[in-house]
Amino acid sequence: MTADIRNDIIIATEHIKARPEVVFPYFTDPALIVAWIGERAELDPQPDGVFSLDMGEVVALGTYTTVEPPYRVVFTWGIPGNDTLPPGASTVEVVLTPDGDDTMLVLTHRGLPSAHIGYHRSGWEDRLGRLRAAAG
Amino acid sequence: MAESKQATPVAPDAVLRALADPHRRQILRLVRHTELPAGQIAANFALTQQAVSRHIGVLKQAGLLTERREGTRHLYALRHEALEPVRALLSEFWPDALSRLKKAVETAHPRPPKI
Repeated sequence: MTADIRNDIIIATEHIKARPEVVFPYFTDPALIVAWIGERAELDPQPDGVFSLDMGEVVALGTYTTVEPPYRVVFTWGIPGNDTLPPGASTVEVVLTPDGDDTMLVLTHRGLPSAHIGYHRSGWEDRLGRLRAAAG
Repeated sequence: MAESKQATPVAPDAVLRALADPHRRQILRLVRHTELPAGQIAANFALTQQAVSRHIGVLKQAGLLTERREGTRHLYALRHEALEPVRALLSEFWPDALSRLKKAVETAHPRPPKI
């Protein structure tokens, strides 16, 4: 697992011991996406279909722009009512590449304004806490 | 690295707390590209000068503002480097989520053990 952040683009990668066909629905099926992110989801995985992810204090809202099972999915990502990161402002692209029987996943989040970070505070603080716990 | 008189790193917590308030985020937007005196910052808010000064104090404490004196005026500007620890933290969001994804997928679809 690695992450890189430069020019307000985040690139994260993950190696998963399952085929892309298995991994892909975790980005399009509301019952599966909440297994790893958010608490409730409303997903309509087709171009212009809604992508809505309730993460407790913050709701991420956008639309799917590209849905190419099982290798590529792109959706926009924003926070309703937020002037620096409105819905549609940023884009998340997920590319799944077969690696034998496994999947190499590359996620690229583009268009993040640096001023939006305060809005994600609770999430980051939560993560900071876990980071600290993990780091001992 | 940009010139900065204050080299002490500030914990991301302090920066995050400072950023948690919409007025303070607005102040940072005002001084993102330009230096402004406190009075001119306050003129943008329906708050007392005292309240704005308090917000400026919190931002200064978190290392998010530089302060420069020019005669009797204090000029404030965003200290961009202070956002670095938070940007670093932000970069943890997706890796963190993806490691949960890995766990969820691999738990739901265990591979039969190799012979």
